[in-house]
Amino acid sequence: MADSNIEIGDIHWLMAILQNIDVGLVVLDRNYNIQLWNGFMESHSGLSPQVVSGQNLFDQFHEIPRDWFMKKAEPVFQLKTRTFTIWEQRPYLFRFKNYRPITGRASVMYQNTSIIPLESIDRSVNHICLIIYDVTDIAVSRADVETAQQSLSERNRTDILTGLNNRSYWQEEADIIYRQCQNTGVSSTLLMLEIDDFRNLQRSRGHRTADEVIRSLSHCLMETVQQEDLLCRYDGEVFALMLNGVNSDDARIYADHICKRASEVCFEPIGEGITLSIGMATFSTSYNGVDDWLQAADKAMYHARESGGNRVSVFASGSK
Amino acid sequence: MTDTATVSLNEDQRDCYQELTNVAMGQAADRLARLLDSYVVLPIPKVNLIEANDLRMAIQEVETESAMSAVCQGFIGSGIAGEALLLFNDTSFSDLANLMNYDGELDRHGQLELLMDVSSLLIGACIQGIGEQLEIHFNQGHPVVLGQHCRVDELLQNSVNPWTKTLAIEIHYTMEQANIDCDLLLLFTEDSVAKLNNKINFLLD
Repeated sequence: MADSNIEIGDIHWLMAILQNIDVGLVVLDRNYNIQLWNGFMESHSGLSPQVVSGQNLFDQFHEIPRDWFMKKAEPVFQLKTRTFTIWEQRPYLFRFKNYRPITGRASVMYQNTSIIPLESIDRSVNHICLIIYDVTDIAVSRADVETAQQSLSERNRTDILTGLNNRSYWQEEADIIYRQCQNTGVSSTLLMLEIDDFRNLQRSRGHRTADEVIRSLSHCLMETVQQEDLLCRYDGEVFALMLNGVNSDDARIYADHICKRASEVCFEPIGEGITLSIGMATFSTSYNGVDDWLQAADKAMYHARESGGNRVSVFASGSK
Repeated sequence: MTDTATVSLNEDQRDCYQELTNVAMGQAADRLARLLDSYVVLPIPKVNLIEANDLRMAIQEVETESAMSAVCQGFIGSGIAGEALLLFNDTSFSDLANLMNYDGELDRHGQLELLMDVSSLLIGACIQGIGEQLEIHFNQGHPVVLGQHCRVDELLQNSVNPWTKTLAIEIHYTMEQANIDCDLLLLFTEDSVAKLNNKINFLLD
Protein backbone atom coordinates (compact mmCIF):
# COMPACT_ATOMS: atom_id res chain seq x y z
CA MET A 1 0.00 0.00 0.00
CA ALA A 2 2.91 2.29 0.76
CA ASP A 3 3.96 2.71 -2.84
CA SER A 4 0.51 2.96 -4.39
CA ASN A 5 -1.08 6.29 -5.01
CA ILE A 6 -3.89 6.77 -2.58
CA GLU A 7 -6.81 8.53 -4.07
CA ILE A 8 -9.50 10.50 -2.37
CA GLY A 9 -11.92 7.61 -2.69
CA ASP A 10 -9.44 5.31 -0.99
CA ILE A 11 -8.98 7.73 1.88
CA HIS A 12 -12.71 7.66 2.32
CA TRP A 13 -12.83 3.96 2.97
CA LEU A 14 -9.60 3.99 4.94
CA MET A 15 -11.27 6.49 7.23
CA ALA A 16 -14.31 4.27 7.47
CA ILE A 17 -12.11 1.41 8.67
CA LEU A 18 -10.41 3.67 11.19
CA GLN A 19 -13.77 4.82 12.42
CA ASN A 20 -15.31 1.37 12.73
CA ILE A 21 -12.45 -0.79 13.89
CA ASP A 22 -13.13 -2.14 17.35
CA VAL A 23 -9.96 -0.97 19.00
CA GLY A 24 -9.31 2.50 20.32
CA LEU A 25 -7.03 4.76 18.29
CA VAL A 26 -5.77 8.08 19.61
CA VAL A 27 -3.08 10.27 18.08
CA LEU A 28 -1.26 12.68 20.36
CA ASP A 29 1.15 15.46 19.46
CA ARG A 30 4.35 16.34 21.30
CA ASN A 31 2.38 18.21 23.97
CA TYR A 32 -0.06 15.38 24.48
CA ASN A 33 -2.87 17.19 22.74
CA ILE A 34 -5.38 14.91 21.07
CA GLN A 35 -5.16 14.94 17.26
CA LEU A 36 -7.21 11.90 16.35
CA TRP A 37 -10.00 10.14 18.18
CA ASN A 38 -11.64 7.23 16.42
CA GLY A 39 -15.15 5.85 16.66
CA PHE A 40 -14.29 3.33 19.38
CA MET A 41 -12.99 6.14 21.61
CA GLU A 42 -15.97 8.32 20.83
CA SER A 43 -18.49 5.61 21.63
CA HIS A 44 -16.92 4.52 24.87
CA SER A 45 -16.06 7.95 26.22
CA GLY A 46 -19.19 9.70 25.01
CA LEU A 47 -16.97 12.52 23.76
CA SER A 48 -16.99 13.38 20.09
CA PRO A 49 -13.78 14.12 18.16
CA GLN A 50 -14.89 17.74 17.86
CA VAL A 51 -14.96 18.06 21.64
CA VAL A 52 -11.63 16.44 22.41
CA SER A 53 -9.66 17.50 19.35
CA GLY A 54 -6.77 19.76 20.31
CA GLN A 55 -7.49 19.21 24.00
CA ASN A 56 -4.77 18.05 26.35
CA LEU A 57 -5.05 14.36 27.21
CA PHE A 58 -4.43 14.85 30.92
CA ASP A 59 -6.92 17.71 31.24
CA GLN A 60 -9.62 15.67 29.59
CA PHE A 61 -8.95 12.38 31.36
CA HIS A 62 -7.99 12.76 34.98
CA GLU A 63 -7.77 8.98 35.43
CA ILE A 64 -4.49 8.98 33.49
CA PRO A 65 -1.60 9.91 35.77
CA ARG A 66 0.58 12.35 33.86
CA ASP A 67 3.95 11.21 35.24
CA TRP A 68 3.17 7.56 34.81
CA PHE A 69 1.97 7.96 31.28
CA MET A 70 4.86 10.16 30.22
CA LYS A 71 7.30 7.50 31.40
CA LYS A 72 5.76 5.21 28.80
CA ALA A 73 5.29 7.81 26.09
CA GLU A 74 8.54 9.79 26.18
CA PRO A 75 10.66 6.84 25.01
CA VAL A 76 8.34 6.56 22.03
CA PHE A 77 9.08 10.14 21.01
CA GLN A 78 12.77 9.96 21.84
CA LEU A 79 13.73 6.43 20.82
CA LYS A 80 11.14 5.88 18.14
CA THR A 81 10.37 2.61 19.84
CA ARG A 82 7.06 1.15 20.89
CA THR A 83 6.04 0.82 24.48
CA PHE A 84 3.25 -1.14 26.05
CA THR A 85 1.09 -1.18 29.11
CA ILE A 86 -0.77 -4.26 30.27
CA TRP A 87 -3.83 -4.58 32.48
CA GLU A 88 -1.83 -6.26 35.24
CA GLN A 89 0.05 -2.99 35.65
CA ARG A 90 -2.92 -0.70 35.52
CA PRO A 91 -6.35 -2.14 34.73
CA TYR A 92 -7.20 0.62 32.31
CA LEU A 93 -5.90 3.81 30.79
CA PHE A 94 -9.29 5.32 30.02
CA ARG A 95 -12.06 4.62 32.46
CA PHE A 96 -14.62 3.03 30.15
CA LYS A 97 -17.56 0.85 31.06
CA ASN A 98 -17.47 -2.85 30.30
CA TYR A 99 -18.43 -3.49 26.70
CA ARG A 100 -21.03 -5.94 28.01
CA PRO A 101 -22.76 -3.82 30.64
CA ILE A 102 -25.46 -6.40 31.40
CA THR A 103 -23.81 -9.81 31.43
CA GLY A 104 -20.19 -8.75 31.89
CA ARG A 105 -18.83 -9.38 35.35
CA ALA A 106 -16.43 -6.46 35.58
CA SER A 107 -17.67 -2.92 35.87
CA VAL A 108 -14.82 -1.43 33.86
CA MET A 109 -13.12 -2.27 30.60
CA TYR A 110 -9.69 -3.76 31.19
CA GLN A 111 -7.21 -2.47 28.65
CA ASN A 112 -3.86 -3.29 27.15
CA THR A 113 -2.32 -0.45 25.23
CA SER A 114 0.42 -0.04 22.66
CA ILE A 115 2.06 3.31 22.13
CA ILE A 116 3.66 3.56 18.72
CA PRO A 117 5.73 6.32 17.11
CA LEU A 118 4.39 8.07 14.01
CA GLU A 119 7.20 9.33 11.84
CA SER A 120 6.79 12.54 9.86
CA ILE A 121 8.13 12.92 6.34
CA ASP A 122 11.41 14.23 7.80
CA ARG A 123 11.60 11.05 9.94
CA SER A 124 11.20 12.90 13.19
CA VAL A 125 8.55 11.71 15.61
CA ASN A 126 6.16 14.49 16.52
CA HIS A 127 3.14 12.32 17.02
CA ILE A 128 2.43 9.09 18.78
CA CYS A 129 -0.49 6.73 18.42
CA LEU A 130 -2.21 5.05 21.32
CA ILE A 131 -3.89 1.76 20.53
CA ILE A 132 -6.37 0.60 23.14
CA TYR A 133 -7.35 -3.08 23.29
CA ASP A 134 -10.29 -4.36 25.31
CA VAL A 135 -8.99 -7.32 27.35
CA THR A 136 -11.80 -7.50 29.91
CA ASP A 137 -12.61 -11.13 29.10
CA ILE A 138 -9.01 -12.18 29.63
CA ALA A 139 -8.77 -10.34 32.93
CA VAL A 140 -12.06 -11.75 34.20
CA SER A 141 -11.28 -15.32 33.24
CA ARG A 142 -7.82 -15.00 34.79
CA ALA A 143 -9.47 -13.92 38.04
CA ASP A 144 -11.91 -16.84 37.73
CA VAL A 145 -9.09 -19.32 37.35
CA GLU A 146 -7.35 -17.95 40.40
CA THR A 147 -10.51 -18.12 42.50
CA ALA A 148 -11.18 -21.65 41.30
CA GLN A 149 -7.66 -22.77 42.10
CA GLN A 150 -7.90 -21.29 45.56
CA SER A 151 -11.23 -22.91 46.36
CA LEU A 152 -9.97 -26.21 44.97
CA SER A 153 -6.94 -26.19 47.18
CA GLU A 154 -9.10 -25.26 50.17
CA ARG A 155 -11.54 -28.03 49.35
CA ASN A 156 -8.67 -30.43 49.03
CA ARG A 157 -7.56 -29.84 52.57
CA THR A 158 -10.88 -29.54 54.37
CA ASP A 159 -13.09 -32.11 56.03
CA ILE A 160 -16.59 -31.46 54.77
CA LEU A 161 -18.52 -32.30 57.93
CA THR A 162 -16.49 -30.29 60.41
CA GLY A 163 -14.59 -27.76 58.33
CA LEU A 164 -11.41 -28.94 60.04
CA ASN A 165 -8.34 -30.02 58.12
CA ASN A 166 -8.74 -33.39 56.51
CA ARG A 167 -6.48 -36.30 57.12
CA SER A 168 -4.24 -36.01 54.07
CA TYR A 169 -3.53 -32.34 54.58
CA TRP A 170 -2.95 -32.95 58.28
CA GLN A 171 -0.44 -35.67 57.52
CA GLU A 172 1.55 -33.40 55.23
CA GLU A 173 1.71 -30.73 57.90
CA ALA A 174 2.38 -33.22 60.69
CA ASP A 175 5.31 -34.48 58.68
CA ILE A 176 6.81 -30.99 58.73
CA ILE A 177 6.43 -30.87 62.52
CA TYR A 178 7.98 -34.33 62.80
CA ARG A 179 11.02 -33.15 60.91
CA GLN A 180 11.23 -30.00 63.01
CA CYS A 181 11.30 -32.15 66.13
CA GLN A 182 14.05 -34.22 64.59
CA ASN A 183 16.13 -31.24 63.62
CA THR A 184 15.61 -28.91 66.54
CA GLY A 185 15.09 -31.34 69.40
CA VAL A 186 12.02 -29.38 70.51
CA SER A 187 9.39 -31.92 71.43
CA SER A 188 5.80 -31.90 70.27
CA THR A 189 3.00 -34.14 71.41
CA LEU A 190 0.47 -36.01 69.34
CA LEU A 191 -3.02 -36.74 70.67
CA MET A 192 -5.58 -39.11 69.19
CA LEU A 193 -9.07 -38.50 70.50
CA GLU A 194 -12.03 -40.82 70.10
CA ILE A 195 -15.65 -40.43 71.20
CA ASP A 196 -16.54 -43.33 73.49
CA ASP A 197 -19.35 -45.64 72.47
CA PHE A 198 -19.96 -43.76 69.28
CA ARG A 199 -21.59 -46.73 67.57
CA ASN A 200 -24.16 -46.86 70.36
CA LEU A 201 -24.84 -43.19 69.95
CA GLN A 202 -25.36 -43.66 66.23
CA ARG A 203 -27.73 -46.55 66.81
CA SER A 204 -29.79 -44.90 69.50
CA ARG A 205 -29.91 -41.33 68.21
CA GLY A 206 -29.41 -41.75 64.49
CA HIS A 207 -26.61 -40.73 62.16
CA ARG A 208 -27.68 -37.16 61.87
CA THR A 209 -27.49 -36.52 65.58
CA ALA A 210 -24.20 -38.38 65.75
CA ASP A 211 -22.84 -36.11 63.03
CA GLU A 212 -24.00 -33.12 65.04
CA VAL A 213 -22.06 -34.40 68.02
CA ILE A 214 -18.92 -34.72 65.90
CA ARG A 215 -19.40 -31.19 64.70
CA SER A 216 -19.95 -29.87 68.23
CA LEU A 217 -16.85 -31.63 69.49
CA SER A 218 -14.78 -30.16 66.68
CA HIS A 219 -15.95 -26.66 67.69
CA CYS A 220 -15.11 -27.45 71.27
CA LEU A 221 -11.61 -28.60 70.28
CA MET A 222 -11.05 -25.65 68.01
CA GLU A 223 -11.76 -23.29 70.89
CA THR A 224 -9.09 -24.83 73.05
CA VAL A 225 -6.19 -25.33 70.64
CA GLN A 226 -3.52 -22.76 69.86
CA GLN A 227 -2.96 -21.42 66.42
CA GLU A 228 0.28 -23.33 65.93
CA ASP A 229 -1.38 -26.63 66.81
CA LEU A 230 -2.63 -28.89 64.11
CA LEU A 231 -6.07 -30.45 64.37
CA CYS A 232 -7.92 -32.72 62.00
CA ARG A 233 -10.82 -35.12 61.84
CA TYR A 234 -8.80 -38.25 61.32
CA ASP A 235 -11.48 -40.78 60.66
CA GLY A 236 -15.12 -41.14 61.71
CA GLU A 237 -15.26 -40.16 65.37
CA VAL A 238 -11.48 -39.96 65.72
CA PHE A 239 -9.58 -36.68 65.82
CA ALA A 240 -5.84 -36.15 65.65
CA LEU A 241 -4.24 -33.19 67.33
CA MET A 242 -0.59 -32.23 67.10
CA LEU A 243 0.38 -29.96 69.96
CA ASN A 244 3.25 -28.14 68.33
CA GLY A 245 6.17 -27.52 70.65
CA VAL A 246 4.34 -28.90 73.70
CA ASN A 247 6.14 -31.36 75.97
CA SER A 248 4.50 -34.38 77.56
CA ASP A 249 3.76 -32.72 80.93
CA ASP A 250 1.92 -29.78 79.43
CA ALA A 251 0.20 -32.02 76.90
CA ARG A 252 -1.03 -34.23 79.71
CA ILE A 253 -2.56 -31.25 81.47
CA TYR A 254 -4.25 -30.21 78.26
CA ALA A 255 -5.50 -33.73 77.51
CA ASP A 256 -6.96 -34.13 80.99
CA HIS A 257 -8.60 -30.76 80.62
CA ILE A 258 -10.21 -31.59 77.29
CA CYS A 259 -11.35 -34.98 78.57
CA LYS A 260 -13.04 -33.35 81.57
CA ARG A 261 -14.50 -30.53 79.55
CA ALA A 262 -16.08 -32.84 76.97
CA SER A 263 -17.84 -34.74 79.73
CA GLU A 264 -19.12 -31.54 81.34
CA VAL A 265 -20.11 -29.46 78.35
CA CYS A 266 -23.66 -30.00 77.26
CA PHE A 267 -23.69 -31.16 73.66
CA GLU A 268 -26.90 -29.68 72.37
CA PRO A 269 -28.05 -32.48 70.08
CA ILE A 270 -27.98 -35.01 72.92
CA GLY A 271 -28.42 -32.72 75.92
CA GLU A 272 -25.43 -34.06 77.82
CA GLY A 273 -21.67 -34.38 77.76
CA ILE A 274 -19.67 -37.07 75.99
CA THR A 275 -16.65 -39.00 77.11
CA LEU A 276 -13.42 -39.37 75.21
CA SER A 277 -10.60 -41.85 75.05
CA ILE A 278 -7.40 -39.96 74.45
CA GLY A 279 -4.07 -41.47 73.46
CA MET A 280 -0.98 -39.38 73.84
CA ALA A 281 2.52 -39.77 72.37
CA THR A 282 5.32 -37.26 72.70
CA PHE A 283 7.97 -37.13 70.00
CA SER A 284 10.73 -39.65 70.31
CA THR A 285 13.71 -40.21 68.06
CA SER A 286 12.69 -43.86 67.89
CA TYR A 287 9.75 -42.94 65.63
CA ASN A 288 10.61 -43.69 62.09
CA GLY A 289 8.39 -41.09 60.50
CA VAL A 290 5.08 -39.52 61.37
CA ASP A 291 3.21 -42.78 60.72
CA ASP A 292 5.12 -44.46 63.54
CA TRP A 293 4.26 -41.59 65.79
CA LEU A 294 0.58 -41.83 64.85
CA GLN A 295 0.61 -45.51 65.58
CA ALA A 296 2.03 -44.89 69.04
CA ALA A 297 -0.74 -42.41 69.86
CA ASP A 298 -3.26 -44.84 68.38
CA LYS A 299 -2.03 -47.61 70.64
CA ALA A 300 -2.35 -45.34 73.66
CA MET A 301 -5.88 -44.45 72.58
CA TYR A 302 -6.74 -48.12 72.27
CA HIS A 303 -5.44 -48.61 75.78
CA ALA A 304 -7.61 -45.77 77.08
CA ARG A 305 -10.66 -47.26 75.40
CA GLU A 306 -9.97 -50.76 76.68
CA SER A 307 -9.57 -49.37 80.19
CA GLY A 308 -13.14 -48.13 80.09
CA GLY A 309 -12.82 -44.84 78.25
CA ASN A 310 -13.14 -41.30 79.58
CA ARG A 311 -9.44 -41.16 80.26
CA VAL A 312 -6.03 -40.26 78.91
CA SER A 313 -3.39 -42.87 78.22
CA VAL A 314 0.20 -42.05 77.55
CA PHE A 315 2.25 -44.12 75.17
CA ALA A 316 5.38 -45.34 76.85
CA SER A 317 8.03 -46.71 74.54
CA GLY A 318 8.35 -50.43 75.11
CA SER A 319 4.63 -50.85 75.70
CA LYS A 320 2.85 -52.91 73.16
CA MET B 1 7.55 -33.15 2.15
CA THR B 2 11.16 -32.94 3.05
CA ASP B 3 10.49 -30.02 5.29
CA THR B 4 12.80 -31.26 8.01
CA ALA B 5 13.88 -27.67 8.60
CA THR B 6 17.26 -28.58 9.97
CA VAL B 7 18.49 -25.41 11.50
CA SER B 8 22.08 -24.68 10.69
CA LEU B 9 24.45 -21.82 11.13
CA ASN B 10 27.88 -21.39 9.58
CA GLU B 11 30.61 -19.14 10.91
CA ASP B 12 29.94 -16.34 8.43
CA GLN B 13 26.30 -16.33 9.30
CA ARG B 14 27.07 -16.31 12.99
CA ASP B 15 29.38 -13.32 12.56
CA CYS B 16 26.76 -11.59 10.52
CA TYR B 17 24.08 -12.03 13.17
CA GLN B 18 26.50 -10.78 15.74
CA GLU B 19 27.33 -7.72 13.68
CA LEU B 20 23.68 -7.09 13.00
CA THR B 21 22.90 -7.14 16.69
CA ASN B 22 25.94 -5.00 17.46
CA VAL B 23 24.78 -2.30 15.10
CA ALA B 24 21.26 -2.48 16.45
CA MET B 25 22.53 -2.20 19.98
CA GLY B 26 24.84 0.64 19.06
CA GLN B 27 21.95 2.63 17.71
CA ALA B 28 19.82 1.81 20.69
CA ALA B 29 22.51 2.37 23.30
CA ASP B 30 23.02 5.96 22.31
CA ARG B 31 19.34 6.73 22.64
CA LEU B 32 18.96 4.66 25.80
CA ALA B 33 21.87 6.50 27.39
CA ARG B 34 20.27 9.82 26.65
CA LEU B 35 16.95 8.72 28.06
CA LEU B 36 18.40 7.08 31.17
CA ASP B 37 21.21 9.56 31.62
CA SER B 38 23.58 6.71 32.21
CA TYR B 39 26.02 5.00 29.93
CA VAL B 40 25.01 1.61 28.70
CA VAL B 41 27.93 -0.77 28.41
CA LEU B 42 27.69 -2.19 24.93
CA PRO B 43 27.37 -5.91 25.26
CA ILE B 44 28.84 -8.39 22.85
CA PRO B 45 25.93 -10.49 21.70
CA LYS B 46 26.24 -14.24 21.67
CA VAL B 47 24.74 -16.06 18.74
CA ASN B 48 24.02 -19.73 19.22
CA LEU B 49 21.82 -22.55 18.21
CA ILE B 50 20.22 -23.70 21.40
CA GLU B 51 18.25 -26.78 22.33
CA ALA B 52 14.78 -26.61 23.79
CA ASN B 53 16.16 -28.12 26.96
CA ASP B 54 18.66 -25.30 27.44
CA LEU B 55 15.86 -22.81 27.30
CA ARG B 56 13.68 -24.81 29.61
CA MET B 57 16.48 -24.90 32.14
CA ALA B 58 17.08 -21.19 31.85
CA ILE B 59 13.43 -20.41 32.37
CA GLN B 60 12.99 -22.90 35.15
CA GLU B 61 15.71 -21.09 36.97
CA VAL B 62 13.47 -18.06 36.90
CA GLU B 63 10.72 -20.12 38.44
CA THR B 64 12.74 -21.68 41.21
CA GLU B 65 14.87 -18.70 42.05
CA SER B 66 12.44 -16.14 43.29
CA ALA B 67 15.18 -13.62 42.73
CA MET B 68 14.55 -13.64 39.00
CA SER B 69 11.83 -12.15 36.89
CA ALA B 70 11.12 -12.61 33.22
CA VAL B 71 9.11 -10.91 30.53
CA CYS B 72 8.46 -12.33 27.11
CA GLN B 73 7.13 -10.64 24.04
CA GLY B 74 6.34 -12.06 20.65
CA PHE B 75 7.34 -10.37 17.43
CA ILE B 76 6.60 -11.14 13.81
CA GLY B 77 7.33 -9.60 10.44
CA SER B 78 7.77 -10.84 6.86
CA GLY B 79 7.10 -14.38 8.00
CA ILE B 80 9.88 -14.25 10.55
CA ALA B 81 8.58 -14.90 14.03
CA GLY B 82 10.11 -15.17 17.40
CA GLU B 83 10.02 -14.16 20.98
CA ALA B 84 12.10 -11.84 23.04
CA LEU B 85 12.74 -12.98 26.57
CA LEU B 86 14.13 -10.65 29.18
CA LEU B 87 15.55 -12.37 32.24
CA PHE B 88 16.05 -9.98 35.05
CA ASN B 89 17.89 -10.33 38.31
CA ASP B 90 15.73 -8.96 41.11
CA THR B 91 18.67 -7.56 43.01
CA SER B 92 18.83 -4.92 40.30
CA PHE B 93 15.43 -3.46 41.12
CA SER B 94 16.52 -0.75 43.52
CA ASP B 95 19.27 0.48 41.20
CA LEU B 96 16.93 0.36 38.31
CA ALA B 97 14.34 2.37 40.21
CA ASN B 98 16.94 5.11 40.72
CA LEU B 99 17.92 5.04 37.12
CA MET B 100 14.38 5.26 35.84
CA ASN B 101 13.46 7.93 38.41
CA TYR B 102 10.85 5.65 39.82
CA ASP B 103 9.85 6.93 43.24
CA GLY B 104 6.97 4.63 44.10
CA GLU B 105 7.20 1.71 46.47
CA LEU B 106 9.12 -1.29 45.18
CA ASP B 107 6.47 -3.85 46.02
CA ARG B 108 5.26 -6.46 43.57
CA HIS B 109 3.32 -3.90 41.64
CA GLY B 110 6.20 -1.46 41.57
CA GLN B 111 8.49 -4.15 40.28
CA LEU B 112 6.05 -5.06 37.55
CA GLU B 113 5.89 -1.43 36.53
CA LEU B 114 9.67 -1.22 36.28
CA LEU B 115 9.94 -4.54 34.53
CA MET B 116 7.48 -3.43 31.89
CA ASP B 117 9.25 -0.13 31.33
CA VAL B 118 12.66 -1.71 31.01
CA SER B 119 11.50 -4.54 28.81
CA SER B 120 9.70 -2.13 26.51
CA LEU B 121 12.91 -0.18 26.11
CA LEU B 122 15.38 -3.00 25.75
CA ILE B 123 13.29 -5.35 23.67
CA GLY B 124 11.88 -2.61 21.50
CA ALA B 125 15.24 -1.01 20.79
CA CYS B 126 16.83 -4.27 19.82
CA ILE B 127 14.07 -5.67 17.64
CA GLN B 128 13.62 -2.38 15.90
CA GLY B 129 17.35 -2.06 15.23
CA ILE B 130 17.58 -5.52 13.73
CA GLY B 131 14.41 -5.00 11.74
CA GLU B 132 15.67 -1.78 10.21
CA GLN B 133 18.85 -3.39 8.92
CA LEU B 134 17.03 -6.35 7.46
CA GLU B 135 14.23 -4.15 6.17
CA ILE B 136 11.65 -6.05 8.09
CA HIS B 137 8.89 -4.32 9.95
CA PHE B 138 8.32 -6.33 13.10
CA ASN B 139 4.99 -6.19 14.85
CA GLN B 140 5.14 -6.79 18.57
CA GLY B 141 2.54 -8.40 20.77
CA HIS B 142 1.85 -7.33 24.30
CA PRO B 143 4.45 -8.34 26.84
CA VAL B 144 3.66 -11.14 29.24
CA VAL B 145 5.24 -11.42 32.64
CA LEU B 146 6.35 -14.98 33.22
CA GLY B 147 6.01 -16.77 36.49
CA GLN B 148 3.53 -14.32 37.92
CA HIS B 149 0.41 -15.73 36.42
CA CYS B 150 1.49 -18.85 34.66
CA ARG B 151 3.65 -21.78 35.50
CA VAL B 152 6.67 -21.60 33.31
CA ASP B 153 7.27 -25.32 32.89
CA GLU B 154 3.71 -25.81 31.68
CA LEU B 155 4.17 -22.91 29.36
CA LEU B 156 6.96 -24.68 27.55
CA GLN B 157 5.54 -28.18 27.75
CA ASN B 158 2.25 -27.21 26.21
CA SER B 159 3.94 -25.45 23.38
CA VAL B 160 1.95 -26.15 20.22
CA ASN B 161 5.03 -26.26 18.05
CA PRO B 162 7.54 -28.51 19.66
CA TRP B 163 11.00 -27.57 18.52
CA THR B 164 14.33 -29.06 19.22
CA LYS B 165 16.88 -26.53 18.16
CA THR B 166 16.67 -22.90 17.31
CA LEU B 167 18.58 -19.67 16.86
CA ALA B 168 19.12 -17.57 19.94
CA ILE B 169 20.76 -14.18 20.19
CA GLU B 170 21.77 -13.44 23.73
CA ILE B 171 22.60 -9.98 24.96
CA HIS B 172 23.87 -9.42 28.45
CA TYR B 173 23.23 -5.88 29.59
CA THR B 174 25.16 -4.07 32.22
CA MET B 175 25.15 -0.41 33.01
CA GLU B 176 27.84 1.91 34.24
CA GLN B 177 27.26 3.38 37.69
CA ALA B 178 24.51 0.95 38.43
CA ASN B 179 24.21 -2.63 39.54
CA ILE B 180 22.03 -3.77 36.73
CA ASP B 181 22.17 -7.23 35.42
CA CYS B 182 19.85 -8.64 32.82
CA ASP B 183 19.81 -10.92 29.83
CA LEU B 184 17.87 -10.42 26.68
CA LEU B 185 17.25 -13.51 24.57
CA LEU B 186 15.92 -13.25 21.06
CA LEU B 187 14.56 -16.60 19.99
CA PHE B 188 13.40 -17.35 16.49
CA THR B 189 11.12 -20.16 15.45
CA GLU B 190 12.73 -22.99 13.53
CA ASP B 191 11.04 -22.12 10.26
CA SER B 192 12.07 -18.50 10.61
CA VAL B 193 15.74 -19.34 10.76
CA ALA B 194 15.86 -20.43 7.14
CA LYS B 195 14.22 -17.20 6.04
CA LEU B 196 16.52 -15.18 8.25
CA ASN B 197 19.54 -16.99 6.85
CA ASN B 198 18.37 -16.06 3.36
CA LYS B 199 18.24 -12.42 4.32
CA ILE B 200 21.65 -12.69 5.93
CA ASN B 201 23.16 -14.43 2.92
CA PHE B 202 21.93 -11.56 0.82
CA LEU B 203 23.84 -9.17 3.09
CA LEU B 204 26.91 -11.40 3.01
CA ASP B 205 27.10 -11.46 -0.80
